Amino acid sequence: MLIRNIIYYFKEALTSIVRNGWMSFASIAVVTVTLFIFGSFFLLSINVEYVTDDIKEQVEIVAYVQNDLTEAETEQLRLKIIQMDKVEEVRFVSKDEALKRLQEQLGELAAGYGEEGRNPLDDSFEIRTALPEDIPEVAAAIEKLPGIRRVDYGTDVVKKLFSFINVIKWIVLAFMIGLALTAMFLIANTIKLTVNARAKEIMIMKWVGATEWFIRWPFVIEGIILGSLGALLPALGLTYLYGEAVDWARINLYFLPLVNPDSILGPLIKLLLLIGTTIGGLGSLLSMRRFLKV
Amino acid sequence: MIEVQHVSMVYPNGVGALKDINLSIEQGEFVFIVGSSGAGKSTLIRLIGREFLPTSGRIRVFGKDITKLKRREVPLLRRNIGVVFQDFRLLENRTVFENVAFAMQVVGARPREIRRRVPEALEMVGLVEKAKMKPQELSGGEQQRVCLARAIINQPSLIIADEPTGNLDPKTSMGIMDLLKTINIRGTTVLMATHDREIVDLMKKRVIMLEKGKIVRDEQRGVYNRDAH
Repeated sequence: MLIRNIIYYFKEALTSIVRNGWMSFASIAVVTVTLFIFGSFFLLSINVEYVTDDIKEQVEIVAYVQNDLTEAETEQLRLKIIQMDKVEEVRFVSKDEALKRLQEQLGELAAGYGEEGRNPLDDSFEIRTALPEDIPEVAAAIEKLPGIRRVDYGTDVVKKLFSFINVIKWIVLAFMIGLALTAMFLIANTIKLTVNARAKEIMIMKWVGATEWFIRWPFVIEGIILGSLGALLPALGLTYLYGEAVDWARINLYFLPLVNPDSILGPLIKLLLLIGTTIGGLGSLLSMRRFLKV
Repeated sequence: MIEVQHVSMVYPNGVGALKDINLSIEQGEFVFIVGSSGAGKSTLIRLIGREFLPTSGRIRVFGKDITKLKRREVPLLRRNIGVVFQDFRLLENRTVFENVAFAMQVVGARPREIRRRVPEALEMVGLVEKAKMKPQELSGGEQQRVCLARAIINQPSLIIADEPTGNLDPKTSMGIMDLLKTINIRGTTVLMATHDREIVDLMKKRVIMLEKGKIVRDEQRGVYNRDAH
């Protein structure tokens, strides 16, 4: 592709965006709204997944060890549990590790604990069974072992929650696809106006021997610019709002761990830009298919 | 240069259809295609410009069978054909200079080349002084001159013109014909559809007459209607 052609494409695209100011504005607005909703759902579903993963991990047996046991006795206990029939995996979690996890979840709220040996937690075992159905049986057996203080395990409620969340996820996905298609057709319509307004120009271009892609590029670039401008506001807005939400949740919903903004916002912004440009580019290709037939 | 072999074109309503057309045009010829409206003149011209495909038959332009061109080869064919329209088809929001330059831009010409060649073309059609004007500030004849300048700017070896004088008065028409003659003398083949009797009789060039989609007459140094003489 020649550089002077690229300059020409961008000039044409920008001219047309300015010339159709209101329609351009409307397309950008539609993409903005779509991607804002999309982004919110994306963050929501990532967090739902995160929380359910967290809950899933909790669907195992946690056996707390009496705090007066020696290391050797604890090891004895571990061997006994692992030799049980239906147990698949046993993991020892020291009380220091447990405190560290808690501090990660609670942040500043847990500060102060752990200093000068102040750790109110117990050592524990996390036990996985091969089949979730075996959990109650295994839990009961472990509880009878000497040295075990208490046993916790998840219940049916958790399983029902999983299937419910799965249904929600599919509904959200369908909704998101619907929104993206709507935005694409709106962009296609905006570009169609440009294409219509310039039908004569396109025809002349064809008659003097412009290639199809030479004719297409300005419109495709116009669509991509509209799409990425539409992605910009949601990207900035969601970055800000999610940061606020995480801060708020840390204080008010400390039992509910949200995904760290640093690890999720980068991919989210990339995804929004990708979707925005794809919607714009495809939309404009869609709108000019008819015009290239001569 | 142009070989039309057994070309037929069928339209659902029958108007402008062609039936088994055969003709051959040599490099450097000036050819009129005449006939009443609906006889198929425009169809023939547009087939040669590969605007659409014939129902049957073969059309060879510059030695290539254009009915077998791939879509992406069509632009390359068109770069070697200059087109003049009855309604000029100029871009209103661009100046005369820009309208002519546009044809060079879209085929990727260098800006320096554009700045050099556009004034030359405008000079040839006598519009150098009006280079900065918009088409709507020009008379019909002047607009057609811009269209001509645009048609020749990429130095095509063939000019096809569909009723180029159809919207012009006789005196202005003669000016356009003089230009086409000059272009032809410089070696470009000119193929022009018209039903302007006066022009055809004055030019004394080859005349191909169509009637109801068939060639009824094809003669060198012809006139529009033999019976009238």
